[in-house]
Amino acid sequence: MKKRQYTNPTGVSKYTGLLLISPFIAGFLLFTLYPFICSFVLGMTNSRTVGETEFIGFENYRTMFRSGSFRRALEVTLKYAAILVPLKLIVSLLTAVLLNLEIRGIGFFRTAFYIPSILGSNLAVVIMWQYLFTAKGLINQFLEFLGASPVSWYGDPDAALYIIVLLRLWEFGSTMIIFLAALRDIPRELYDAAKVDGCGSIRSFFSITLPQIKGVIFINLILQTISALQEFNAPYMITGGGPLKSTYTVGMLIYDEMFKYGEIGYANAVSWILFAVITLAVSVMYLVTGRMERDKT
Amino acid sequence: MKKIVSLITAIFFTAVLSACGKKTSENLTKPDGQLDKCTLRFSWWGGDDRHKATLEAIKLWNTIHPEIKIIPEYGGWDGWTEKVTSQISGGTEPDIMQINYDWLVTLSPDGSGFYDLNELDSQLDLSCFDKDVLSFGEINGRLNAVTVSVTGRGLFYNSAVYDRLGAEFPTTWDELIALGDTFRQEGLYPLDLDIQSGGTAWYLAIVYVQQLTGKNFISMDGELGFTADDICMALDFYKEMESSGVIRNIQTRTDEDGNTALYQSPEFIGGKVAGVLEWGSSVGKYEAVLPDGTLKAGPFLTSDGENSSGWMIKPSMLYAVSKNTKYPDEAAAFMDFLLNNEDCARILGTSRGIPASHSAEKSLEQNGLLTGLAHESDSMLEQLDTVTVSPYMELPQMKDFYNTAIEKVSYDLCDTETAAEEMYDSVTKYLDKVK
Repeated sequence: MKKRQYTNPTGVSKYTGLLLISPFIAGFLLFTLYPFICSFVLGMTNSRTVGETEFIGFENYRTMFRSGSFRRALEVTLKYAAILVPLKLIVSLLTAVLLNLEIRGIGFFRTAFYIPSILGSNLAVVIMWQYLFTAKGLINQFLEFLGASPVSWYGDPDAALYIIVLLRLWEFGSTMIIFLAALRDIPRELYDAAKVDGCGSIRSFFSITLPQIKGVIFINLILQTISALQEFNAPYMITGGGPLKSTYTVGMLIYDEMFKYGEIGYANAVSWILFAVITLAVSVMYLVTGRMERDKT
Repeated sequence: MKKIVSLITAIFFTAVLSACGKKTSENLTKPDGQLDKCTLRFSWWGGDDRHKATLEAIKLWNTIHPEIKIIPEYGGWDGWTEKVTSQISGGTEPDIMQINYDWLVTLSPDGSGFYDLNELDSQLDLSCFDKDVLSFGEINGRLNAVTVSVTGRGLFYNSAVYDRLGAEFPTTWDELIALGDTFRQEGLYPLDLDIQSGGTAWYLAIVYVQQLTGKNFISMDGELGFTADDICMALDFYKEMESSGVIRNIQTRTDEDGNTALYQSPEFIGGKVAGVLEWGSSVGKYEAVLPDGTLKAGPFLTSDGENSSGWMIKPSMLYAVSKNTKYPDEAAAFMDFLLNNEDCARILGTSRGIPASHSAEKSLEQNGLLTGLAHESDSMLEQLDTVTVSPYMELPQMKDFYNTAIEKVSYDLCDTETAAEEMYDSVTKYLDKVK
């Protein structure tokens, strides 16, 4: 059998590399950049589901900033992100620390804690949440058992947002797994040396664990912030944005304007403002953490 | 290399800028009077009773026309408008669609949004319909859709609960208000009104005001007939129903049901809430969750036992053919089968209300199928001096204005005068924009 001959791939053609990455480039151009630019162009028009489309410049943006419903939706979204993101990071990190312990059957617990995050906010979860949080739901039964007053979870505008926060908090598995991977990468010798020096568990956590995984904390912070600012599914399915629009996020506003009211141009303009808000939030985080790094050096 | 990148970039941006807009050119497939082998998509919304009946009807169609395959697409009402709107925006809508009345305003304001069914008369027999019934689907002289049934919202009660309490179905508004006390003593409610997709809370309130004032809330051409004072009267009446215990307030209702539809909620199934305001064509889903014969149609309320005006009727739904269909003849033939075929009518029964087609209605009558709640309610409606619902009244944005006002009043965030002024302003501005 003749031995196969290999040539130096760099010598075949200078366009081979381009050819090899062309499927990705084509996908990126078609499914990311193209809709991205289209969305911006549509945001400058009065496009509706039917009828003629005219270029109206920044009129949609002017309408948006004058609109009470946009301001309200933005407030709800920012409040939601401000409550959820820190809570989720803390719960995920503490759970990851516990699941990093070398005890029997830990694999079972790691799987069990991860399962909620693959369920998402589907119909089964919505039904379960209703069993938990409606007037005679399990949570209120438990509160009454403890002698506390039941909470109007769905009906109270101040409480309804927490139903959504709790759902997303319950789905902390993905964040926790990233923390867990980072924790397992910390060299054991650091803890052993600290122990010899008389360092306790809490001091070790703050002086060794946190500094060692600060990069991962930052990544999780960015990912969770983006995800929270884009929230749509959970409020859409669980509360429908109510009561009194207290759970009506910018994501829901975009959906309603686009598909319910047929205001395609306006919906695209709102999408771009949401994109700007997310970009701003992430940039601020990068700036703050960069400054912290500089201060340290 | 630079040239290639520049060329690709130029082509890309040209394509983007030219393709971002919607397609404006129309490529209608003209009818040829022949039925060819093809596959058609047919979509509808509804409850389980309607789904089962329609799937059976499609089976019958397949035995008659095996060469024309029908792919069913169906689901519940919630989110259905959004689904079809996005399909139509993208030009991927089904060939035949069950459409809602207000979609004619939003999706075909000039009559060009759907296929003109006048052109398909070789396959679609329109002689079985009254002229005024057909006019519901006409825009600018084009027949965009055919009315499946004409219906009105009626009051339906859980008779087991009423019997247990020794209560009679109310006949006047005052009797309805008085029922609140009787039911409150047992922790029950004689009726439910919602601010979900149905928006029955505002509906009943405007029937009340229309009956008392003789005004129409919105005219057929989109003129607001109510003043801010009339809207305030409607909100006052709604608030009175809450405070007298006729209905649950919004907070209690939301706490008990969450985001669940009433017919799926334990409060309705268990009898805590013993009445519902619903279209005759859609009441089947409420009937199905209670023991047989428990849900009964109640009288349409009057102010003094005599003045029965103000109640409304509308086409419950219509069938339309997509303007993008490649098979207009076949789509029209299938639509004709759904509307006029006597065997199909027998299978569909009253799952879409009492058929507007005389042929289908006759078939139901001959087979003893013209019974049930939809028939009872529609028969009572025929005796009343009804008003036709304006398609503008049901636009999603308008429902948002009604629900916002009702919610604010229910939560005591403002008085009824302020809520009425706000709603009047919003509705007036929006109608000016969409008319």
